[in-house]
Amino acid sequence: MKADSWSGDFDLDIGRFREQTAIHSDLRLRELELGGAPLRAALLFVEGLSDKEFIDRHLIRMLMKGRFEPPVTAEYVKNRILSVGALTERLSASGWLAKTLSGHTALLIEGIPEIFLIDTVHAGKRAPQEPESEGLVRGPRIGFNESLSDNTAMLRMSGENESLVISKRTVGRRVKRELAVAYMSDIVDPELLREVHRRLDRIDLDDLPESGYVEQLIEDNRLSPFQQAQNTERPDRVVAALLEGRVALLLDGTPFALIVPVTLSMLLQSPEDYYERWLPVSFIRILRFVSVAVSMLLPSIYIAFISFNPGLIPTKLAVTIIETRTGVPFPAYIEAVFMEIAIEVLREAGLRLPKPIGPAMGIVGGLIIGEAAVQAGFISPILVIVVAATAITSFTIPSYSAGITFRYLRFFAMLAAALFGLFGVVMFLLLIGSHLVKLKSFGVPYLSPAVPYRLSDWKDLLVRLPTAAMKKRPRILNPKDPTRGG
Amino acid sequence: MIQPEERIRAAQAAVIVSNLILGAGILTLPRSALENTHTPDAWIAVLLAGALALLGGCGIALLSRRYPGQTVYEFAGRIVGRAPGFVLSVLIVAYFLATAAFQVRSMSEVSSFFLLEGTPTWVITAIFLWVGLYLTVGGIGPIARLFEIILPATVAFLALLSVLSLRIFEPDRIRPVLGEGIAPVLRGLKATSLAYSGSEIMLILTAYMRSPKQAVKAVAAGILVPIAIYVPIVFIAVGALSVEGTLSRTWPTIDLIRSFEIGGLIFERFESLLLITWILQIFSSFTIAYYAASLGVSRLLGGRSARLCLYALLPVVYLLIRAPRNIRDVFGFGDVIGECYIWMFGALPWALLILSVCKEKWNAKGQPSS
Repeated sequence: MKADSWSGDFDLDIGRFREQTAIHSDLRLRELELGGAPLRAALLFVEGLSDKEFIDRHLIRMLMKGRFEPPVTAEYVKNRILSVGALTERLSASGWLAKTLSGHTALLIEGIPEIFLIDTVHAGKRAPQEPESEGLVRGPRIGFNESLSDNTAMLRMSGENESLVISKRTVGRRVKRELAVAYMSDIVDPELLREVHRRLDRIDLDDLPESGYVEQLIEDNRLSPFQQAQNTERPDRVVAALLEGRVALLLDGTPFALIVPVTLSMLLQSPEDYYERWLPVSFIRILRFVSVAVSMLLPSIYIAFISFNPGLIPTKLAVTIIETRTGVPFPAYIEAVFMEIAIEVLREAGLRLPKPIGPAMGIVGGLIIGEAAVQAGFISPILVIVVAATAITSFTIPSYSAGITFRYLRFFAMLAAALFGLFGVVMFLLLIGSHLVKLKSFGVPYLSPAVPYRLSDWKDLLVRLPTAAMKKRPRILNPKDPTRGG
Repeated sequence: MIQPEERIRAAQAAVIVSNLILGAGILTLPRSALENTHTPDAWIAVLLAGALALLGGCGIALLSRRYPGQTVYEFAGRIVGRAPGFVLSVLIVAYFLATAAFQVRSMSEVSSFFLLEGTPTWVITAIFLWVGLYLTVGGIGPIARLFEIILPATVAFLALLSVLSLRIFEPDRIRPVLGEGIAPVLRGLKATSLAYSGSEIMLILTAYMRSPKQAVKAVAAGILVPIAIYVPIVFIAVGALSVEGTLSRTWPTIDLIRSFEIGGLIFERFESLLLITWILQIFSSFTIAYYAASLGVSRLLGGRSARLCLYALLPVVYLLIRAPRNIRDVFGFGDVIGECYIWMFGALPWALLILSVCKEKWNAKGQPSS
């Protein structure tokens, strides 16, 4: 018997079935006889993972009740007997076990030197829910779930659309997963698409359990603190990005899709920006930019002014601050670093705790410890205001991952301020600025469309102009079809 | 030789020119403009010098766009011959290095005086140089993009500060206009022209432009922005501090901003804002001058990687920065650079341009007969 193909001799093949599956105790082997022909057959499937009802109704019933007319060949079984859509034939003896273990049903029929693999995967999956990481007041309430086919279906459900292409490929060496690349065929820049596939080709890893793995393996700069792909749970956001000429990557097993290329301004935008009216939204957008600046720089500016240049702040304010600081035993930077670390710890603790306890933890930590520390004279009340302001402003960043980046960059800003005061803060900003202008996401400058100047793309940057005024797609993405409408 | 993604657009070239011009001069210009004029008409000298700078800049742009894709380090040799071209390139490299060093030295003087008393200047200088190095190794594209962020911020801050300082502006101090005739204004022309040094970067930038034809437009736009900033600053400084008051101060612009307070705003005093703006401007002037110098060295050494030269030149620049012993030496250093600027980039580009045109005409005549 050759090792890599089926013999067609039922006893031999079934023996092999048994031998190879002996250690997998959740595999069920069901032997039966074909109706109307004295031929034996066997079905092999995973208990719980394969759709039992489907196997009973469509496979076992068809095989037992059908009237088989010899000769029973592979063609005959495929064309006349198995009334299922998803069917693969395997001639060789390799690969079938992995498929069977992931929920397919293997069918072996006497006299046919092949096995049939029928897709009967019926994993327990979550119904689509409102995405937790990206809350909206107005907008679709649906988010991706863990099943790739559901997720691609959600993209399709966005409307009748011929140009939406979803091409699947497998990634992972040991654990093979499906990865879908979605794009609009008549909008996307073909060069971008080629680049995406080139980078996906380079992925060579055992397993990619979450799209974060893919993100980290295809990014331009691994040392950068900034993310170079946007992750989202929202189908509407993905579709909007595709319509701009971007490419989305959806991985089986995770609700987080990736959008490339990404720019910094995208991370500060929310899909709701386009659903609400433009004036309030523009106001909120400006507020977000200010918030980012505050959350990153406020503690360092505090340190710089208090420790180095108290003369540069207005006299009255300086007097007030210095009065509240009397009796505080630490220099301003120790105080600030200490409190910022404390609030990060609280945030992390609140996040990991079970849901009902999390908020309680925040209240206990934030209010009571802060209050007690001020009363004990460890820290000045003004610092509590500073720390609270940085924490709250950091929550306005719509993208959670971007929020983390700005939060920890704050500590480097504080270090710079503690060492070199205002000069240090300026140098820190120049360093971050220099990094951002060098950074690219799939060839697109990270700070575009702000720089290089693209006046036509500025309609959707700091403010968002009325929807009727935005008839053009972002030019920086080099779309095939640059207009959205007349 | 130049990668397509490194190409810059006309607007970016203009921004780079503006950023190079706006440098150490912002803080000292009111004084240096008055030193030779001694009349309130110094602002007219600044305006006229701007016009002269436009003329010089146009010459540089016209010259460089005749050699698309080539920097001055390459085309100088083609105009005046190999050896003189080499000497000229060395001079240009030295000029850019000196400019870069002068900017950083002014920065470290002001920073250690106003912001960081007690911190050793070498630390301030080193940090500044390292951040600059980090930017410049990214090439001309990132440099241009960062400048595009810095310039609007500078213009906005300086415009705000100018408007605010109108509170202490006294029109009597600026009158009479041309009370002593035009002669003192003309005397101040040379000193004020130095504040506009920067358009010479087009000798290199034009090679990186997507459409070198727009070089003249770019350089003109790039010079107009500093004119619009310098003239009001000198005008207001003289009007607020008076001629004698301005002359007696080392950094008159800082004193101008210091001398008023605005109630009812979060900040009552704005010199921190001015210093930040100024550090940003120095950073941009330094990085582009340093980049130009390194590029020159790499071309002179026969196309060595510019990146390597960026690293290698850093100690040289550091030594140049540390060379002047005190603030008087620093200003003397600046004067020498200014002298070089006038000789090298005032008249020489026009001469080269005429030479280049003549050569081409001569060649065109010679061609058909041969």
